[in-house]
Amino acid sequence: MKNSVEDFDSLFENKKKYTGLKIFVVIFILFLLTLTGVYSYLSIGAVRERMEVAKAQSEGTISGNPLLIDLMKDKAWVESRLKMAASDSIGLSIDLGQHTIQMELKGVVVMKSKIRDYSTSGFFKRMDGNVYFAMFGTPLTIQSYVSSIEKNPFKVIQAPKTKTAEEIKAEEEAPLSTAKPATTATTTDSIPDENVFWTVKLDRDFELNIQGIDSVAESQSRYKLGKGFEFKRDIRNIINSFDHIVKFKKPTYTPEILISIPENEAKAILRALPRNASVTIRI
Amino acid sequence: MIRTFLIYVTILIVGILFFGSMILFAIPAFQESTFILPKLTSSQSNSGDNNDVSKESLEKEIGKLQAKLDKLTPTDAYIIINTSDNHFYLYKGKELLREGLCSTGKNERLVSEKGENTFYTPIGVRRVLRKQPNPVWAKPDWAFIEEGLPIPPPGHSSRFESGTLGAYKLELGNGYMIHGTIYKRFMGLSVTHGCVRLGDEDLEVVYKALQVGSKVYIY
Repeated sequence: MKNSVEDFDSLFENKKKYTGLKIFVVIFILFLLTLTGVYSYLSIGAVRERMEVAKAQSEGTISGNPLLIDLMKDKAWVESRLKMAASDSIGLSIDLGQHTIQMELKGVVVMKSKIRDYSTSGFFKRMDGNVYFAMFGTPLTIQSYVSSIEKNPFKVIQAPKTKTAEEIKAEEEAPLSTAKPATTATTTDSIPDENVFWTVKLDRDFELNIQGIDSVAESQSRYKLGKGFEFKRDIRNIINSFDHIVKFKKPTYTPEILISIPENEAKAILRALPRNASVTIRI
Repeated sequence: MIRTFLIYVTILIVGILFFGSMILFAIPAFQESTFILPKLTSSQSNSGDNNDVSKESLEKEIGKLQAKLDKLTPTDAYIIINTSDNHFYLYKGKELLREGLCSTGKNERLVSEKGENTFYTPIGVRRVLRKQPNPVWAKPDWAFIEEGLPIPPPGHSSRFESGTLGAYKLELGNGYMIHGTIYKRFMGLSVTHGCVRLGDEDLEVVYKALQVGSKVYIY
């Protein structure tokens, strides 16, 4: 009897003890739900706002006939490539329908690669003809690069001190001298596993992501798991998202095209493209 | 007592996980999904076929434009150099005549008391300006700076070396050339001072195929 009285008392004490925690948990969960709701609303609003901007920028009365639109896309594609050919710089042309990415110089295809995998934002799937031509009707210009590997790697080496006539004579007499010419050439038995991923921001406010892969499976696993550069990029996006949540600001939305191509070709394109290269895209 | 505490903590963790997954996965997925987005149709669009353009006229225009674009590809021999993979491709029109390894610029900046020399293969389109068999290499100043040797006056005998450039050279301007090499083990590596080195057999084929004025595309 005594024991049961004690048990009842302790239960009452516990109930009192956890009331604060209970209130905290309820308030916290409600806060998270509110935050999630507000952020969802703002995020979707950001996409719709981006779509409104695209609508406002598009002009024209292009037919709704899909066959004609396809032909007009073909025409815009060839016209854009001709415009790129007028420049002395290397340009990039991407045909998602044909799964090809190619570098062109003065109208000559200097490198052609098969796209192994690609994805585009929903934004691009909802475009009509006019919006399409406003976005892709003429060559786009690269505004900035972010890459996991150096775009133009340059080694800086110091030339050896100029030898005097006596030193040269002494070297000629002792050919096994320890004097070495300026060199940094090193050989390695294995090729380092590079993670080739680069992003360019284009002048019509969307991003083109190029990922170097050796297989389609790799493109799906590596991008999603986040490794190296992608991981840092994801973290940056998360921090950016939280910053917007805390300030109750509308998050920024940038449509993206992600293309996976063989790693050595992703690297070759990055290295060859000039800073403000032209890009032609056909979706 | 502990059970009650654990229940509250679990609710907290589940709440945080829900919030995290919504922010990181669900909301970005919603943003990219098409079903919640309205169709992006500009206000000026119409749905009929009442445009000035017809299928036939469009096809004709595309054909003309494509022919114009195709004309930009040289019909005679030209070479494409990939400096990233150190590969060359010899073409005639759209036909690939030969491909193989080459060596290109090492992307290096040599700093000395006499200044700075940059070694890289310039990207862009060039032309063969001059062809020469059995070339003699007239060593520029940087070749002496790199070795730590005093720079001899122009025309000095120590500046001239036979055999170093292989059996042929094709000049591309600004001191850049396509030539052979005695360092065959470096073929396929970025080791040159900016010139394009080819193996003996490849060099002969390229030398015979390219004429003065032939285009050299470097990327």
